[in-house]
Amino acid sequence: MTAITDTATRLARLLTAGGDALRDPTGSGLVFEPLIDLGPLERQAPPPDVWAVDGGQALVADARTVQLYVTRAATVRWRDGAVVSEDEGELRAHLVGAGEERRSLAALGSPVAPDAAVDVNLLRDWGEWAAVAAAVDAAEPEALVLVDGDLQPDWRIPSQWLADLLARAAERRVTLAGVTKHSSLALGGAPLLGVLERRAERELGPRTRWWAKVATTRPDVGAGLVVVVARLDPDAPFAFRVDLPAGADPAAVLGSLAALSDDAAFPGYPYPLTVADRLAACPGWLRQDIWDQVEAGLAGAGVPADVRDRAFTDRHRLMERS
Amino acid sequence: MTGLGQAEGMEATNPGERTGGRVVRGRLFGRNVLDGVFRAAPDEDLFLGELLVAVDAATDRRYLFRVVDVTYGSEHREPGWAERIAGTLLADDERGEAGLHPLHEQARRTYRVAACRCLGYLAPPERPGAPRTVFRKPKSLPTQFSAVVAPEAEDFEFLARQMGDLPVGQLRSGETVVDLRVGIPGASLATHVGIFATTGMGKSNLMQVLAAGAMRANGRYGLLVIDPHGEYRTALGRHPWAGEALRVYANRALPATSSLRISLAELSVDDLRTAYEWSRPQEEALYELERHYSTGSGAAGVSTSSGGEAGQGLAWLAAFAAIDDLAGFRDVELSARVALSTLQVVHRRARRITTLRCISPDPAVSVGGRIISDLLAGKVVLVDVSGLGSTEEVLVGSFLTRRVLDEWQAAYLDDPERHRRMPVVAIALEEAQRVLSGNKDRESNVFPRLAREGRKFNVGLCAITQQPRLLDDELLSQFNTFFILGLADDKDRNILRSSSKQDISAQSAEIQTLMPGECLIANLAAPFAVPALIDRYDHLIRDTPPPPAPRPTAAANVSALVD
Repeated sequence: MTAITDTATRLARLLTAGGDALRDPTGSGLVFEPLIDLGPLERQAPPPDVWAVDGGQALVADARTVQLYVTRAATVRWRDGAVVSEDEGELRAHLVGAGEERRSLAALGSPVAPDAAVDVNLLRDWGEWAAVAAAVDAAEPEALVLVDGDLQPDWRIPSQWLADLLARAAERRVTLAGVTKHSSLALGGAPLLGVLERRAERELGPRTRWWAKVATTRPDVGAGLVVVVARLDPDAPFAFRVDLPAGADPAAVLGSLAALSDDAAFPGYPYPLTVADRLAACPGWLRQDIWDQVEAGLAGAGVPADVRDRAFTDRHRLMERS
Repeated sequence: MTGLGQAEGMEATNPGERTGGRVVRGRLFGRNVLDGVFRAAPDEDLFLGELLVAVDAATDRRYLFRVVDVTYGSEHREPGWAERIAGTLLADDERGEAGLHPLHEQARRTYRVAACRCLGYLAPPERPGAPRTVFRKPKSLPTQFSAVVAPEAEDFEFLARQMGDLPVGQLRSGETVVDLRVGIPGASLATHVGIFATTGMGKSNLMQVLAAGAMRANGRYGLLVIDPHGEYRTALGRHPWAGEALRVYANRALPATSSLRISLAELSVDDLRTAYEWSRPQEEALYELERHYSTGSGAAGVSTSSGGEAGQGLAWLAAFAAIDDLAGFRDVELSARVALSTLQVVHRRARRITTLRCISPDPAVSVGGRIISDLLAGKVVLVDVSGLGSTEEVLVGSFLTRRVLDEWQAAYLDDPERHRRMPVVAIALEEAQRVLSGNKDRESNVFPRLAREGRKFNVGLCAITQQPRLLDDELLSQFNTFFILGLADDKDRNILRSSSKQDISAQSAEIQTLMPGECLIANLAAPFAVPALIDRYDHLIRDTPPPPAPRPTAAANVSALVD
């Protein structure tokens, strides 16, 4: 118990007196603002055309040497206060392990270097960014394309690819915005967003929309981005990290984003992203359905049932139950 | 891009679209053979008790469902999702900012779930285009995701043939009235009818409608209505067929009524025991008195016409009531075998009975015979006992019930051919719990006997009560027909649930929410408890044509030729 008590003490110190240095533990190459100014945010008219993209993945079977994953990227289009189209995305099955992951990557036509390490995060992330690129190309001028997460793809996707995408979007007068639900940005040892939420409440009052510029990307890491933190609704329980292209007007983009973030179910989070999130989810019944199909394929290929069982039985769970 | 989701192999319809000219109200998704649940749009106005049809395209069956509950559903599975939204909206309201946080696309994110009881299914027609005439109890599952639609008129055609010849109203689906007459077969009067409702729910109106049906049945049914409040006389008298089919007897002097006069000689000790609460010593005293007067020792005190001979019923009561020196009578005539205080109670009651306007010491003035004649002629006989106390009303009811039961029983046993021609007769009694409760003396009480044996002789009881929970379980189980109107008390609903001849176990909420005039009819003639809106009696008689003119009779000389 002493060890736990000590741990709690250290955790308390990190959260309350962990220093005042801004950090990004993911090491994504951000240059933090020397001083963070909190400013009120005014809600503006919603964008005329909104796209939202989110990705999902699920582990279907695990033989330890090789895993079977499924991924998909869902896209939602929102106009005039309603979803006008939704695409739950093609469900893609991937074998990861024993070199099979390269076959999956190759099938996706990604710009990733052929010799790069491949895991399911890369496979899912690329599918998601491919959907973002498709949305940018399909969007009308003045559209807003929302991405679940930051605007920094997996490190194995060349930064030039994102730079090209942002340039293409700017050329088409389409704005990209990445909304991160759970940010790892930190002030000392404390989550930065929580610190800013408390500070905003003190400085601006409890029911205000506000935003603050936090960082920009280093010029040497690729596309220029600006990272802000914003509370998009006066009744939002949380503020979120929002990534925008460096050339965007944060107050204007965030103001229009606020108009999409008034849903009663979760004030402060863009509603189209919640629809995309729901579409992209890979629930248990879907995993079971896929596994049933795979099992049928294995049986058709003559793989004995006991070979299948020995390969895919979760022995750890089996032992826990015994 | 895909659509909003459509099950493979299903009809190409979504809730809100039209199929075959009917709005699809929902899609069936779960439960079992007896119960179903379907999903409906969040603005689909579903009512408890509403009848709906699940169209099974795979089997061409049409499953009839009754909505027994409606709840909210949402696409979101997080705990507290709906409560959180309600909280957000409420906070907006409190700040005067209603609308600040809309629930985007509510129609897609929320829905309603209707729990239903499967009533059965209409089998496919014998040939394409032919009507569906076969309705079966539920024994199979409709295809999952079948479309749920509002019923069409032909979905109820099978029911029309089972609604009998005593119509009481229209079929009701939730709050919608369906153009289908519903009622009960008159023959089911003999298997006892219960009318259950709290005050103001329409018991009296239903009773009048039933009486109106009996009046128009051309003598097939006799109905004896004991009316304690005098509420039926005027209403039934306005029925166009009242002149031919209604007879009214009244305790008071009232226009267009016959005087209700019952001879003491017709009454029995059992009638007294049914009407009054007696202690054991008091009952012993009654028998002691009866024995005293019947043996002749008390004959001197009895009028010549009703002298204390056996078979003279309560004729001795007049002599006993006339005694002034009760203590002396006790000591001398009864040899002090009865306590004076006990005798005083019996004496007080005897005096009250013998002074009732409707009671006569003269056996020649009895009305019992005439009432039996009226009932044999298939008339509605209304006995207005307003002005009598509750116990005296039961005394009259007990006497008349015993007379009717004895008459029909005697015919059944001694003259079956005559019995076959006799109409089915029912005796309607208000506040029936007074004579059918579990603690009533079954040995002497004619009403439990009627409930148990009456059906054999074509004599039924029409029991009206606000408190069915007070009725004896075993007696209630003898009732094959229930008219259930609004009942607020859960205990009342529970007792009916367990005794009904149709399954109404899922309909407690519906019964609780019935409006005046709305009812469930549960009997063996229909395949399920039928929801109905009872006719308003005023409207019924307004729309009732007068009886046909009697056929002209031939002149006497022509009759002779024919003969």
